[in-house]
Amino acid sequence: MAAFVGVVALIAGGFLFLLFKSPASVPSEMRVTDYAAEMAAGTLQKTSAATAPEPAEKVDLEGEFETFDGKPGHSEANWPNFRGADYSNIVNSAVPLADAWPESGPPQLWEVDLGEGYAGAVVWKGCVYVIDYDPAKEGDALRSFSIDDGKEIWRRFYHAPTKANHGMTRTVPAVNDDYIVSIGPRCHTLCVSRETGDFRWGIDMVADYGTEVPLWYTGQCPLLDGNTVVLAPGGKAFMIGVDCETGEVLWETPNPNGWKMSHSSIIPMTLLGKKTYVYMSVGGVVGVSAEEADRGTLLWETNEWTHSVISPSPIQIDDSRVFLTAGYGAGSMMIQLKEEGGKIVPQPVYQLDKTAFACEQQTPTFYQGHLFSILPKDAAALRGQFVCLDTDGKFVWASGKTNRFGLGPFLLANDRFYLLDDHGELTMCRASLKDYEIMAKAQVLHGHDAWGPMALVDGKLILRDSLKMICLDVSAP
Amino acid sequence: MAQLTKPPKRITRFTFLRNLMRGFVGTALGVVGGWSAFGARKKNTVWQIDPMKCVQCEHCSTSCVVSPSAVKCVQSYSICGYCQLCFGYFQPNAPELTSAAENQLCPTDAIERVFVEDPYWEYNIDEDKCIGCAKCVKPCETFGNASFYLQVRHDICVNCNNCSIAMQCPSDAWSRVPLDQPYMLKHQQDYPLQKGIGGVPRHGVPINAAEMELELAPKFELPLAPASKQ
Repeated sequence: MAAFVGVVALIAGGFLFLLFKSPASVPSEMRVTDYAAEMAAGTLQKTSAATAPEPAEKVDLEGEFETFDGKPGHSEANWPNFRGADYSNIVNSAVPLADAWPESGPPQLWEVDLGEGYAGAVVWKGCVYVIDYDPAKEGDALRSFSIDDGKEIWRRFYHAPTKANHGMTRTVPAVNDDYIVSIGPRCHTLCVSRETGDFRWGIDMVADYGTEVPLWYTGQCPLLDGNTVVLAPGGKAFMIGVDCETGEVLWETPNPNGWKMSHSSIIPMTLLGKKTYVYMSVGGVVGVSAEEADRGTLLWETNEWTHSVISPSPIQIDDSRVFLTAGYGAGSMMIQLKEEGGKIVPQPVYQLDKTAFACEQQTPTFYQGHLFSILPKDAAALRGQFVCLDTDGKFVWASGKTNRFGLGPFLLANDRFYLLDDHGELTMCRASLKDYEIMAKAQVLHGHDAWGPMALVDGKLILRDSLKMICLDVSAP
Repeated sequence: MAQLTKPPKRITRFTFLRNLMRGFVGTALGVVGGWSAFGARKKNTVWQIDPMKCVQCEHCSTSCVVSPSAVKCVQSYSICGYCQLCFGYFQPNAPELTSAAENQLCPTDAIERVFVEDPYWEYNIDEDKCIGCAKCVKPCETFGNASFYLQVRHDICVNCNNCSIAMQCPSDAWSRVPLDQPYMLKHQQDYPLQKGIGGVPRHGVPINAAEMELELAPKFELPLAPASKQ
């Protein structure tokens, strides 16, 4: 009987404990700038009355130049622009890549602190270049680092105060042997000599072309076609070509529709046998001639694909088809170009719902006749999953509900994808057309919003989160 | 041969009565304790929504015995990104970023959009207009910082014993919480919790009413720049 009473007391005690227990506390860590708190504390990165330029005031893009101890490193390969040399985000690495990693992940070669942002790096002849924002000095800085040790080589800074708005930088420079071109958060375009960092010229697209700075700042990455920089300012000109040597505007494509700059980037393609610059603006999609004879001439346009926020870039499928996608509920569309009466006419082939295929901040990869993307959070059951689709719009496979990613980048190298999630977990999976097959996984960054596009050169993978850039050795031991 | 079992204990009348009394007292204690606990539970707890479990199903706007619902959207200013394009405010692909009715997602015009200074905009909830439909909560959570979320407002809730919304809730987001901590603050860093890192449960943080009112008070001192409301 006494035992029975004891059991009753224990049950009652447990019942009362469960009834009145407080939920366990969870660790709190801010993901983005706490604007209100920083405003209250007076620490919010915003334009002060003393430093704010007048709206019409032109920014001095030559700015200041500093050199540091770093020396150019050694790299056989290059990563010259957004999505790599051929804009495919696919690299055939001559350096064999590791098929597995130690528990701690691939060895980290170096790390560099950056201002808050998502800008990715390019690599040319052992130098890593990235556009950064210096919150202390309130301006953009094009910075050069050694790929060997991450030591800074030089920095060109110009004063352009920018307020915190979900990060500052989000563009990837373009580089060739002679020049580097970058675009800052507020559409400031800078061209410098690659090796020395000498100022060549600058264009303020807002002041010069009436560009409307996209929501959350510029996402368009510059295109270098030979020694011509191709930009899509919107505003007074839809697209322009600028000579790298002189800064002279070589051609301008008119913008009668008043279409605006998006977060997308211009991608060069050969469509219906003609070299074409394709750009998804806020307003519509446009093909502009990239042929020397009529460069800058409008070839075709369509407003069948128009969304208020477009971050991915267009993807060439074949000689006549272009795949378009976006996030924020947009879904995807395949368009096909046809010649009719001497004109090129783009026509929608099919459209996919946001739950079938989309991409919010990155651009899908087209590989062996299939499209690969991480679906956004509004994709219902497929939200956050890595998905493979064929070009007829048919679902092939998804990574499964236990393998979800965020808005981070992904890159294909040899026979595997590298995928980085929001919080810096790097996954390596087989580039398979049959199924999702994971190879390795490791936490390589510990910050937030690891959304900057990756670059891979000689087995060195460059990644970043909102405040830090790292270089990993993913080569085979 | 050794005896393997003890002989049965002899129960005396006294032992029997003593055990009977112990049982009676124990049962009485259990009944009284349980009764007190249930009474105290009803008296000292209120209903609340765990914002980390809510799936924005819209039952909160249609199932409440109070009309309009005692559930309201709240705005955690410390989480908000103050975006010019707020996905919780604007219709998808809104033709213009103005507060014209055709651009707004809220069916009752319960969100006030106020210009702070370029590029910041503040979004305030008018609880008198809000019906708790969560149409703004879902896109804010999907595309934004998830600063909009639903909470039971205790100046309206009548604290039914069997809450009609709680019975409908498909995600087990409703529970009784202590009266002295009647609100649940949403975390924005839900991602590691979704992944179950460290086995930490995914739920909101209980806070008291004063803390909640502080959370729901606009932080910007308006206007910081020449005010304009579009």
